[in-house]
This record gives sequence, C-alpha cells and structure tokens, in this order.
Amino acid sequence: MRRTLFAALVVALILLALYPLMATGYGIRFMLQLFMWVALAQSWNLISGLTGYVSFGHVAFFGTGSYAAAILVTTHGWHWVPASSMGGVAAVLLALIIGYPCLRLKGPYFAIAMLGLNEVMRVLVSYFEGLTGGGLGISLPILYASVQIYYGMGLAAVIVTAAAYLIITSRFGLRLMTIREDEIAAEAMGIDTARYKLYAFLLSAFIPGVVGGLSARDQGYIEPLSVFPLLTTITMIVMALFGGKGTIWGPVLGAVTLFVLQELVWVRFLYLHQILFGAIIVFVVLLMPRGILGVLQQRYRLPRTL
Amino acid sequence: MSVIITPAMVGQVVISGLLAGALYSMVALGLALIFGVMRVINIAHGTILMLGAYTTFWWFHLLGINPYLSLLASMPLMFLLGLLLQRTLVTRVVDAPELSSLLLTFGISIALVNLAQLAFTSDLRSVEFLTGAFLVGPIALSKSRLVSFGFAVTITFLAFWFIQKTKLGKAIRATSQSSEVAMICGINVQRIRLYAFGIASALAGAGGSLVAVIFAIQPEMGQIYTFKSFLVIVLGGAGNYPGALVGGMLLGLVEQLSSLFLTTQLSEAVAYVLLVLVLLLRPTGLLGGRAK
Amino acid sequence: MKISRRLKEYLGRILFGFALGLLIWDSAVAQAPVKIGASLSLTGSYSALGQNQQRGYQLCAKHVNEKGGVLGRKVEFVLYDDQSQGATGVRLYERLITQDKVDAIMGPYSSAITEAVANVNEKYKMPMVAPMASTTSIFKKGRKFIFMVQSAAEVYLEGLIDMAAKRGLKTVAIINEDTLFPKATVEGTKELAKQKGLQVSFIEGYPKGNTDFSAILTKVRTASPDVLAAATYFDDAVAITRQMKELNVNPKMYGVTVGGDLPTFYQLLGKNAEFVYGATQWEPELPYPGAKEFVVSYSTEFPGRDLSYHSAGGYAGCQILVEAIKRARSVDGEKIRAEILKMDLTTVYGGFKVDEGGFQLSHKMVMFQWQEGKKVIVWPDELAAGKARFPTPQWSQR
Repeated sequence: MRRTLFAALVVALILLALYPLMATGYGIRFMLQLFMWVALAQSWNLISGLTGYVSFGHVAFFGTGSYAAAILVTTHGWHWVPASSMGGVAAVLLALIIGYPCLRLKGPYFAIAMLGLNEVMRVLVSYFEGLTGGGLGISLPILYASVQIYYGMGLAAVIVTAAAYLIITSRFGLRLMTIREDEIAAEAMGIDTARYKLYAFLLSAFIPGVVGGLSARDQGYIEPLSVFPLLTTITMIVMALFGGKGTIWGPVLGAVTLFVLQELVWVRFLYLHQILFGAIIVFVVLLMPRGILGVLQQRYRLPRTL
Repeated sequence: MSVIITPAMVGQVVISGLLAGALYSMVALGLALIFGVMRVINIAHGTILMLGAYTTFWWFHLLGINPYLSLLASMPLMFLLGLLLQRTLVTRVVDAPELSSLLLTFGISIALVNLAQLAFTSDLRSVEFLTGAFLVGPIALSKSRLVSFGFAVTITFLAFWFIQKTKLGKAIRATSQSSEVAMICGINVQRIRLYAFGIASALAGAGGSLVAVIFAIQPEMGQIYTFKSFLVIVLGGAGNYPGALVGGMLLGLVEQLSSLFLTTQLSEAVAYVLLVLVLLLRPTGLLGGRAK
Repeated sequence: MKISRRLKEYLGRILFGFALGLLIWDSAVAQAPVKIGASLSLTGSYSALGQNQQRGYQLCAKHVNEKGGVLGRKVEFVLYDDQSQGATGVRLYERLITQDKVDAIMGPYSSAITEAVANVNEKYKMPMVAPMASTTSIFKKGRKFIFMVQSAAEVYLEGLIDMAAKRGLKTVAIINEDTLFPKATVEGTKELAKQKGLQVSFIEGYPKGNTDFSAILTKVRTASPDVLAAATYFDDAVAITRQMKELNVNPKMYGVTVGGDLPTFYQLLGKNAEFVYGATQWEPELPYPGAKEFVVSYSTEFPGRDLSYHSAGGYAGCQILVEAIKRARSVDGEKIRAEILKMDLTTVYGGFKVDEGGFQLSHKMVMFQWQEGKKVIVWPDELAAGKARFPTPQWSQR
C-alpha cells in the first residue's frame, strides 16, 4: 500500500515537472498559482494546524517577502532566485521579532494580534515611501519567466509539504500536537513549549516569504493593498481546513480542490462567486470541521498522520 | 510640507475623537457582549452595522422621515437578524476552537456583503440630513456628529443600565464570568447567548444608522468597524463591559491625535501597535479585570 | 386522447424551435464572432467603477453588431471578474489569450491592475486598448502592445492649477489617497504648481478606505491655502467635501480628481457640492462626434445607472479597437498595432493619438464646476460652456 502510494507520488511529480513542455500559458499560470496556494495553506498548517495557534495574519509574511524581493530586484539588481530566498529570510526575521512576544498570547488574543500585525505591516510599507514606493507600489522590470517561476513555486510547495511530513512523523511534531491538545499538560511533561512554538512559527513564515517574492516577480507589480489582503489569509486557512488541518496531505488536497473549483465554477458566476465562497466556508466549518481527510480518516480508519 | 500644530487644532481633533469614540464604544459594546458570553469573535459585526446603515438609508430615501427615527426600525430588525444568525449558525460553534467561529462569522460576513452588493449595488449612498457645523470660536462642531453622539451615549447608557440592573442583564454577566457556573445556577445559557447576540446586533444596527447620517455608505463599509471594535475591546479588556466604553473613547482620541501629530496613514498603525502592546503588557486590558 | 394530441403539438413546437436554434447556431459557426476578452473589477473595492466600464464595453459590442459587426463577423465579449485583485487579473488574461483564444483584448479597470496584466498581453503580442489606465509609468517601460485612451494622471489637475494661477492665487494644499493613480496625480500637480508659480504649502496622504478626515482637514484649515486640490477616488471625494463643511474649511478654490463628475456626487451632497471643481476625462455635453447618440442609447439600455467617463471610455476604447481591426482587415496583433499607431481620431471620448509606447498624446482633460446642480465646463477656454464662479464663498454664506 505504502509503496504504491509512494510510486504514485513520484509519477505525479514527474508529470508535473514535464507539464510545462505541453502546457499553454494559462495552464502554467494556473498551476503556478495553485502551487502558491498549496505552499501557503501548508505553511499556515505548520503553525496553526499543528499547535492550534490561529495565525490570522499569515499574509503578513507573504507581503514582507514580496517587498523584500521586489526591492532587491529593482534597486540592487538581484536575480529573482536569490531575491525570493531573501524574501523568505525577511519573513523569518519578522516572525522572530513578533513571534517571541506574541506566542505568549492565547486563543483569540493571538489571532487578533496577528491580524493587527498584518495591518501594521501594510501601513508601514505604505509609509516608508523612500524604500517601498509607498502607494505607488513597485514596478519590476518586465521578465517572461513563467516557466521558471512555475518550477520555483512547485519546489516551494514540495519543500513545505516534505517539511510537514518530516515534522508530523517526528517527535518534534508530537510535541507540537501536545501543545495543541493541552498546553499546560505539555509544559508539565517538560516540553519547552515557548521554544517549540517559536520553531514552528519560524518554519511557517519562511515559505510564505519565498512564495511572496516569487509572486512579486511573476506579477511584475506590487502595491501595499495587493500583497497584504485579509482575504488571502482567510483563503489559505479555508483551504487547509477544507482538506484537513493538522494532517500532511489535507492542505494540499484542500488547496487543489478549492482552487480548481474556483476556476471551473466560480468564473461562470460573475457576481455570485463571493456568496458561494461564503457559503462554502460556513458549510465546511459546520459540517466538516476536520476536513475531507478528517472525514476519510474517521470512515476508513486511516492513520492520523496521513 | 506640514503645518505647525496649534492648541485650537488639538481642541478640534480631541472633540472629533470624542464624538467618534462614543460611536465606537456603542458598537464595540455589542462585540464585547458576544465575546464575553460566548468567547466568539464575531467578524460579521461590522456587516450587521452595514445592514443597519442601509435600513436607515432606505427609510430616509423611501419614506422621507427623520433618519434618526429609523433607529426604531434598524435596532429591532438587526436584533431579529442576530437571533436568526445565532439560532441557526453561530450556536453550533460556540464551544469549538476559536478558528471555527472566526471562519464561520467571516463566511457569514462575506456572503452578506455580496448579497448587499447584489441587492443595493455597490454605489455609494448617503443620507443628507444634517450637514454643516456650529462654529464655536476656532472650533467647528459637526451637527450630524453631535446628534449621533447624543444618540450613541443614550443608547450605550441604556444598554449598560440593562446589563447592570435587569435580571436578564445579570444573567448575561453571570454567563460571561463562567457559563458552567451560570448553568448550575439555573440560568438557561442557550437563551442568554441568543439574547446577547440579538442585543449586540441591535447595537451594531444602531451604529449603522448613526454612521449613515455622518458618512456615505456602501456594502463594504463594515469591515473597518469590525476591526475598530476589536481594538476597543482589547484596549478596554475583553469581557469587561465598562472597559468597552473607555476603550471606545480612547480609540477615538488615539486615532485623531495620531492623525494630527503624525499622519492619517500612520494613525491606523498606531492603534494596532497599541493593541499589541496592551495585549502583551496588560492582557486584561487597560482597566484590568479578568483574563481568560 | 385530447391530451396526447396537445402534447404532440407541444413536442412539435419544441422540436421546431430546436431545429431553428440549430440552424442559427450553424450559421453563426460559419462566421465565428470576433471574441474580445476582458476582466474587470465586478466585485471588490473597485466594483462600482468597474461595472460602469463593463456597461461601456457591452454597449459598444451591441452597436458594432447592429452595424453589421466587423470583418463581416459579430463581436462578442468574454468577460470575467478579477475581484479588484491584480493576481486574479493576470491569471484571467492569460486564460483569455491562451485558453479561450480570444481575438483581441480590452483593458481592466484601474491603473494598478492594468500595470499587473500589461505583461501578459505583451508576452503574446496581443494589443490591449486600456481605457482606464492613466498612470504614465505604465507606458514608459518599453511595452509595445498597450494603448492609452485617456489623459495621464499627472495632468488631471492642470485646469485647477492653471485657473488658480490666472486669478493670481498663491498657495495650494494637496491631499491624496495613497494609491498608484492619486499619487501619480500628486507628483504631476506639484510639478504644474511649480511651473505656474504657486507654492505648495501642505501635502498629506491618507489610506484607502479612510472615512474620517477630521485631522487632515484641520491641518488644511490651519495651512489656509488658496486652493485645495484633492487626488481622490469617489468615496473619499464625497467624504472630504462633506467634512470640509463640518470643519468649516474655506479655500478659494477646491477641486477633486475622480468622483466629482459622477451624478451621484451631487445627489449625495446636494447643494454642498456647489462650487466644487472636478477634473474629468469626459462629459456628456462635450461636442464630440457620436457623443449624443451614445448618451441616449446608454440611458435607454441601462436605465437609472450612472453615466460616467468610465462608461464612455470603455465604449470609446472598444470602438478604437474595432476600428483598428477593420482597418487592418485582420485580427493579427502586429497589424492591429500598426493601425492603432497610425490613428488620429476623435471618438465619443475625444482625441485619440498615441506614441510608439502607446502613450496618449491628443486626449484633453476638462475641468468643470458644479453650478446649480449642473456640471458647467469652465476649462480649457476653447471647450468652456460657462464662467467659473469665483471665489468660493464661505460655507456659512452658501
């Protein structure tokens, strides 16, 4: 069983790697953004799915990465690969600065603090015009690199999913899940909760930063409003939840299902799609809070760590 | 290229801040009620405010009657909407982790906002009733804001009196201190939650009615009030009802003064930085009180 | 039996209708329509203006088809909603070009989203007439396939500054929403003020979505400029005007960029809108060819909806594209581009002539002033329909 699954995964990855050879421009753009959502949903899963600390401002890392990379590309002439990696580093730095104090907050307070962080970042980026262009945004030089960025995004999605696999199947992951189930008990068992939460937080910030940088390079233009929207945070959460948070494959499944659904169905309902999105959120929360994988796990006795 | 700030300017913005603050207090008191009783952060709070604002708009537009009287329509209507939302949806996630309620209320919010866009279009609407100002020396007092301030203070006072003095109000306070103990004491916690959500929505609806006379309205106007209400209840101390009153005034002042001394752009960040600081240093709010 | 006969009759009719439908469909396939793709902000923060632009596109397609289409084919729009987000717009334009295989495309709403999607059509060498992009920088990046229809953001307030200078006014304060288009306007206005010898005494931005302007207007009141120039979208233009009255801010001239021209502006503000100057790309009264017919058919087609320059610009942009296809006798991108570069037209929207980068050279802004519920064009002199009422009286004396 395990071996067939692994073989299927390898085949799928090879097919995805070969896909640009035959794809249309739209196909590549679509898959590239799909990879981005997989990476974002999975990153959110690393902190919130595992520890239960709801990051309600995760797009802050995406936006920070976007700006860091865009500034490096435009004013320092960097290539987009190192620039996007530095975007990830910038996001981790931000996570370090705010994670240490904020992770002491419990429950809804942490969620609100993260929401606030995102707003602060957006305002600061608008305000420091000299560096960021403020409301004018940053316009990057024209570059046609969809295919390369496709591989970049794909790699980011693979890395963060592999990280989820390694974490969830390790002692580190068990510790994080213990924090989620009962933090006081975890502390009583001698787990240094503050340190483990921070590690998870830093890990969950890196890939959104990288992906932000890649996305900025791909779009060619960023502005504060376009890289710090609350809706992006919500979308990544809904994707993770829809597939099954706290699992390895849940966020992947959720991102793929919702994004494909959006493209196939919602595009035909010009004015109704947002109402449908709202309805889907309500549906998922009320009827399948553990997501598709959660339902499957319950029904077919699959391992919890799938 | 800025101007030198004079005492008259400070006076002007302090007044603007207090006038806005009373509205924030009233709206945030609603959010605080829901949070207190159920530990639910209602992201749809501002959306309900938006619907209250549209109630006032249509009242004035179709009937042509004094828009302040529309409070008589918007508050009961939003009360009923609140009951409906609580009864059908929110009650199912009250005891679930906070993620469920955050997402559920966001889902409700986005659906309602887009329904409103379909029903009312996204065009800007306004109620031109009281415009202009009373001039007192160097200070201008906006007529519509003054009247709205009066209504907000009155409604907040009534709500507060209700929470403090009536039997139902005491039950609400008991439930927010501990729903288990309240249940043991024979309080029907389900019913209290229902009423709390209804009252909270009525307060948001009233906020919407008053906002509609001051600002132009459109379907997406609500989110900003949800966020402001978060700020207020954190500053005042979540679950601490008098705290919401102080928090609202404080937020009004902070916004205006930071807009004056810094820039309007930064004022938002100042409020959020304050929020994070308060959470970190005094998680129980500036007034103290009970932490979770 | 009776019933079954009736049923037969119905069935017969349905079959007949179906066959007729097939026939029509068949003849349409024989002459597949010219598909024009666009994604617009139909939901989200730009939805009101994006929908105005959409109506312009729709009306243009209708009119073109009534006149027999182009190249003997009908014109058909493939429209999507970008939710006011650039990333979605990029994906949708890629979809329009490579998946839906449209023959030509029209631009989205707003400078910011156009800046994001302009690389997509450039990659496929597909011309994009972008009616609602007015930030100069978009057209100065060496792109070849994007064409500007309206005047640049930088000159929006030229009329206001020019009139102020002619009246001998000395100081100007500028406030603006902190996003791409208004900021570009601010840069241009600063430059224009300097050229005309006015001193800029105060500049401050405010975030998108701001509703309370007390503090910023209090500062303006203290700076006490002769002219207040506001680089706005729509919501903020209304709020600022209203709050100026509440705070008793009395500049001698006060003008806004976007929003002041919408009929709703006056409906919302009533007589408080009197004396306000507004910059606009287009007005229904301007004597451009075809403008009258456009205004009439717009109001019959979309009763009760605002007629703004966004609709007219969308309409004219689409007309320009169709004309270019007609002249090129093909939908080939390079040929259409060549024809557009040769054009020197006056559309319902005014002049159209672009340089190699697609930058607009011939379109003219106008400045109007609200006078007794009507927009009276007061600048430039050659298009002016009336005289500006100057100076603006104190609020207490209006």
